[in-house]
Amino acid sequence: MTKQDMINQRLLKEAAAAQMRMHTRRHFLKESAMGLGALAIGSLLGGCGSNAAGNAEPAIAFDPARPLLPKSPPFAGKARSVIYLHMAGAPSQLELFDFKPELMKMDGQDCPPSLLAGKQFAFIKGVPKMLGPQAKFAQHGDSRAWISEHLPHFSTMADDVCFLKAVTTDQFNHAPAQLLMHTGSPRLGRPSMGSWVTYGLGTENQNLPGFVVLTSGGSFPDAGKSVWGSGFLPSVYQGVQCRSEGDPVLFINDPKGMNRDLRKASIDAINEANQQEYKNYHDPEILSRISQYEMAYRMQITAPEVMNINDEPDYIHEMYGTRKGEACLANNVLLARKLVEKGVRFVQLFDWGWDAHGDHAGNSLNLGMINKYRSVDKCMTALLLDLKQRGLLEETLVVWGGEFGRTPMMENRNGVQNPFKGRDHHTEAFTIWMAGGGIKKGYTHGETDEIGYSAVSGKVDAFDIQATILNQLGFNHENFTYPFQGRPFRLTDVGGKVIREIIA
Amino acid sequence: MIRLANKKILIAVSVLLVAGIGAAFLTSEKAVDYSTDIKPIINKKCISCHGGVKAKGGFSLLFREEALATTESGKPAIIPGDPDHSEMIRRLTLTDPEERMPYKHEALLKEEISLLKKWVKQGAKWGDHWAYLPVKQQTIPDVSGGNNAIDAFVLEKLKAHDLSAAPRADKADLLRRVSLDLIGVYPDDTIAQKFLQGGDQNAYGELVDSLLASPRFGERWASVWLDIARYADTKGYESDGHRNIWKYRDWVINALNSDMPYNQFIIEQVAGDLLPDPTEDQLIATAFQRNAMSNDEGGTDNEEFRNSANMDRVNTVWEGLMGTTFACVQCHSHPYDPFRHEEYYQFLAYYNNGRDEDVPGEFPLLRQFPDSVKPEIDAVVNWTRKAGGDTEAARVKLLLRSYQPAVNATTADSLQHAVIANNNVNLSVQQNGIARLRNIDLNNASEGILRFYSNKPGGQLVFRLDKADGPAFATMSVKPSDRAQTVVFEYPEQQGIHDVFIQYRNTGGGLKPDDFVISFDWMAFHRGLPGKTLPGYTEIKNTYTRLLRMELSGTPIMLENPDNWKRKNVVFERGNRHTPGKEVQPAVPASLRFAQSSSAPSNRLGLAMWMTSPQHPLVSRTIVNRLWEQLFGTGIVETLEDMGTQGLTPSHQALLDYLSYQLMHDYQWSLKKLLREIVLSSTYQQDSRWSESAGDDQYNKLLARGPRLRLSAEQLRDQALCVSGLLSTKMYGPGVMPWQPDGIWNSPYNGARWQQSAGEDQYRRAVYTYWKRTSPYPSMISFDGAQRVVCAARRIRTNTPLQALTTLNDSAYLDMSRHYALRMISSAASKDPSARITAGYNLLFFKSIPAEKLKTLQRLYQQSLEVYTKSPEEAAALLSKKEATGEPKEMAETAALTIVANALLNLDETITKN
Repeated sequence: MTKQDMINQRLLKEAAAAQMRMHTRRHFLKESAMGLGALAIGSLLGGCGSNAAGNAEPAIAFDPARPLLPKSPPFAGKARSVIYLHMAGAPSQLELFDFKPELMKMDGQDCPPSLLAGKQFAFIKGVPKMLGPQAKFAQHGDSRAWISEHLPHFSTMADDVCFLKAVTTDQFNHAPAQLLMHTGSPRLGRPSMGSWVTYGLGTENQNLPGFVVLTSGGSFPDAGKSVWGSGFLPSVYQGVQCRSEGDPVLFINDPKGMNRDLRKASIDAINEANQQEYKNYHDPEILSRISQYEMAYRMQITAPEVMNINDEPDYIHEMYGTRKGEACLANNVLLARKLVEKGVRFVQLFDWGWDAHGDHAGNSLNLGMINKYRSVDKCMTALLLDLKQRGLLEETLVVWGGEFGRTPMMENRNGVQNPFKGRDHHTEAFTIWMAGGGIKKGYTHGETDEIGYSAVSGKVDAFDIQATILNQLGFNHENFTYPFQGRPFRLTDVGGKVIREIIA
Repeated sequence: MIRLANKKILIAVSVLLVAGIGAAFLTSEKAVDYSTDIKPIINKKCISCHGGVKAKGGFSLLFREEALATTESGKPAIIPGDPDHSEMIRRLTLTDPEERMPYKHEALLKEEISLLKKWVKQGAKWGDHWAYLPVKQQTIPDVSGGNNAIDAFVLEKLKAHDLSAAPRADKADLLRRVSLDLIGVYPDDTIAQKFLQGGDQNAYGELVDSLLASPRFGERWASVWLDIARYADTKGYESDGHRNIWKYRDWVINALNSDMPYNQFIIEQVAGDLLPDPTEDQLIATAFQRNAMSNDEGGTDNEEFRNSANMDRVNTVWEGLMGTTFACVQCHSHPYDPFRHEEYYQFLAYYNNGRDEDVPGEFPLLRQFPDSVKPEIDAVVNWTRKAGGDTEAARVKLLLRSYQPAVNATTADSLQHAVIANNNVNLSVQQNGIARLRNIDLNNASEGILRFYSNKPGGQLVFRLDKADGPAFATMSVKPSDRAQTVVFEYPEQQGIHDVFIQYRNTGGGLKPDDFVISFDWMAFHRGLPGKTLPGYTEIKNTYTRLLRMELSGTPIMLENPDNWKRKNVVFERGNRHTPGKEVQPAVPASLRFAQSSSAPSNRLGLAMWMTSPQHPLVSRTIVNRLWEQLFGTGIVETLEDMGTQGLTPSHQALLDYLSYQLMHDYQWSLKKLLREIVLSSTYQQDSRWSESAGDDQYNKLLARGPRLRLSAEQLRDQALCVSGLLSTKMYGPGVMPWQPDGIWNSPYNGARWQQSAGEDQYRRAVYTYWKRTSPYPSMISFDGAQRVVCAARRIRTNTPLQALTTLNDSAYLDMSRHYALRMISSAASKDPSARITAGYNLLFFKSIPAEKLKTLQRLYQQSLEVYTKSPEEAAALLSKKEATGEPKEMAETAALTIVANALLNLDETITKN
């Protein structure tokens, strides 16, 4: 048992004890005997689709009074929490991880018609030119993984990560592609991965939200808040956006003019009055409310402290490359580490500005993107090192990627060569990496053709990645369902295959 | 270990259950009942391989004729009357695991097999689920006690469980309960006092009647309906831009306030446009269906999202209005309920011929004429009737109201020097550009209307018949403008249905060939105003043209395609639009066709008539169940979204049917009468305290006590506004934007901003809060408001710390606390803090505060007063500018009272309806 395990065990016990205190013996017994009545909605699971009779996992009990209490997964998972770094806009695999010397040779030539026939692109029209890699590559570590010069720090982590080089999607617009990646459907209305995970596992620290979302300033992802929405799951499972400006959690700070002592006094008074109410009405919901107010208070104490990265030592700040007072990725990555350390189940980060079309300098591969590479290189490296040195990497699954890839062709918007070097959206191949959480180290799965246009082996899609993440957390994605509109829905819809090759 | 233990319990329970079934079976002579005896076994043990998606071995148990049909083995698996030769029974009893069914799963229990045997012997009859059978008149149980028939049904059940009803709640609780339930806020003080002071039994009835007559009633219940209607002020999807559809919300409020019969309420929303000579209101009602999301993101396929919207409409009427999950059938036959795959597409066909095509302009729109020009519209319509007859009058009226039928320019093809911008926005054309509009009805046509944008002088449009170089039948010069224009033009009368080629030429010079110089939204070609030769024509023609050219905002509505644009209806194999199957015609599912009149038209109006037929088994039950759930917290069928075989068993089925029958017959579909009956029952008026006599009924399914549940997001906000004296009673109009923290709205691509409303619009009822689908108002969502992306038949109440944080710290709540404190001061009998707290409690609960609670709050007051006396700057910070100018002592008192007010707004009894 690692030190962190012990801390978490303690947190868990504390939370459970606090719950117990709030229950009179009578209520507790009654509740256990009654079960959850009709609210154990999982009992309605039936086979509209793939579940053969009898092999469904036991239904997940949803207790509306304590919906976030930690629960055990159906089988022992290797990962306890997830940090998902999504680079919204879709970074270019060809400048970072997927080294294609052949493409260099074709640089500037017209794109062969075979690559264009019957294909649909977001902006490319007519015949574009091929565009060689805008970076130098070298092999790193014992695993000899190719990583470009743009990621000097990350190159040192080659033997700790697992690359998926043949990820594909069928969505070439940002919003649907992001939704597909995070909710299993290109349309609005499905729960996001973090919602599924907190629905299934609850969270270990009741003083913090279980599913935290951090965006690095700029704009939200194109798909808006739906990428962390709870869809048809109860709203308590939606991602809580923790903000770098204003209150870290909405309404977490006391109003101006109300000091902490008064807040405490006021919650004490509320709860005392509620106890009196309970004596009168005997409604167990009142006890739940009392415990929620206590939790709210603890969250008020804990969250601003946990969400404050300023108390981290200087060398940690240096390692992540944080920037004081700014809403930036490095700050959020450091915060993500703090959060999983404190028992937050799922931390979803969104960075922005990766849409390298080359229609202006800011999004060109050899100008604007250089800054993006720098902004991510140091902090994602630091995250892995930091988790490792704390013994947390093995139980924390880190995922990094975008919603699709970029074309080996240079973008020619409306048939005219773009003024800067850029690539269009590309669905047929891109790279995602994973680390920790029981994933193989120093391993590469999947391969693209010699110009990085399409997958030739080890092809995977969003559903496979989702299935694998759930697997690492202890769920069989096919049995992890929720009944809605008359049928059991799952994160992976009707697809998904666990990528066994990358599991350690 | 744990799972093993569970399994043991499970087996023990099954044995008990089965023993029970067995005992019942042995002692009873009656026939095996399919629904209660057989279907549960089939659904649990057989159907996942033999029905719906899968029919292993060619054997399906979904429908009787399927089950009796020949299987892959060449013979049927069930022979009615002959269990010994029925393969199904044989396979259940084998020992070879490869042969024995259920395949690779535990064998059926002996008792189950003998039930199945008996069932086959008795003819293998299929039965219907209760919810799919018409509602019958019920006999009221002969039970003593209670106020009305509802109580008779409830008391009979209680008696059977050895329980008794709770006494009546005290007057104060009852006043608060029934007010929040019926109007969502508190009534005027005079009404409240009249009830509290009134002694006789009639007082409650009078209170109920005045609440039902209040305009607040429609606002309260609109919130419930808008979840079903998935009403929002934005379009959804990625860019989630603004949608101007608030007139629909106001229509709902008005319809509920005027107690529009529920059947009419449905007919107008589903088919208002197809009623004879529809009113403006009836057209606005059809926006119910335009609340489906639409997608403006660049590059998306309009046809795909037109289909999505139609499927959403189908799912909405089934789930929201008929309590049935139908979405399943999109991909395959329903595994449990009597609906076939093909029937989904027959049903979808009712919606497939709408004029709406997912274009960003959301056409067709009902143009919102100011009342002042309505006489002129009447004049034009009357003229047309006189000169051209009723059909022409209806045509001109529709044209003036909506410009329909018009062709969306995004459907143009054969493009030369032209593109459909972003594949879905508009038709954008360069110099000498040409585009084809297909299938245009030019019979007797001599007039056209175009909606376009062009700021280039010198442009001319030429309209040609059938070919890019075909004969020109009309030309029009394009006057430049910085705004979109709607232009009417004329041409010699044409005949026939044609493809129209529209060509742009510019002789002005100075255009680059790459420049897109004109963009079209839509075009209409039609007959001119009749009566050219009659006196007064010129004048009326001028009015007509002026009305057509008026720039007006519009509300999205439903309208049908004219005959020449009718789309083909096909089945999508496995739900995929790109694999079209056989052609179908509009129809309701066969299993429910008995409720359809033979004279019903084969369109949405026929659909609405079917739904509102007294024979229809689902519509009345669904609304009764929904209203019941709103008042008692749990529906008679808990699964509001599904009364089918997978839904939960009703707690009081006879009561549900009694009320449904009453609604359709005695109450003539009046929802107010239905609600009145329910709230007048003694069941509703019971005290909500838990007592030992209520036994184990934790969820109060048997109703041995009154309802006690957390208020909805809307009720919470409205109540707090109400007690703090801030509530605005202003009704209707565009969504308002009360205070919300910065940075909640952050949409990609559109610059929409949360622009905090001024004045009383800050304090409007929650139903008027601007609803952005991708980012709803934070406190609504934390208290389980629906996202309104799709139909939400039921909100699941949760209890979380984020809710506590909202009512504790949200600035909107703090603002209300401050005003509440001031109201406590002004309504207290003295300056004594306990008098003020007592007054505050009374404002909230209509009764005096229990001594113990007063002590608790007094202590909080004293603690606060100490802090604020010591630090006046803290008091000033807490209070708003207005109150922060008084004497330090007074300020400290107000601040301390604000803390108490904030606590009062957070009490469980405040957040809960007792």
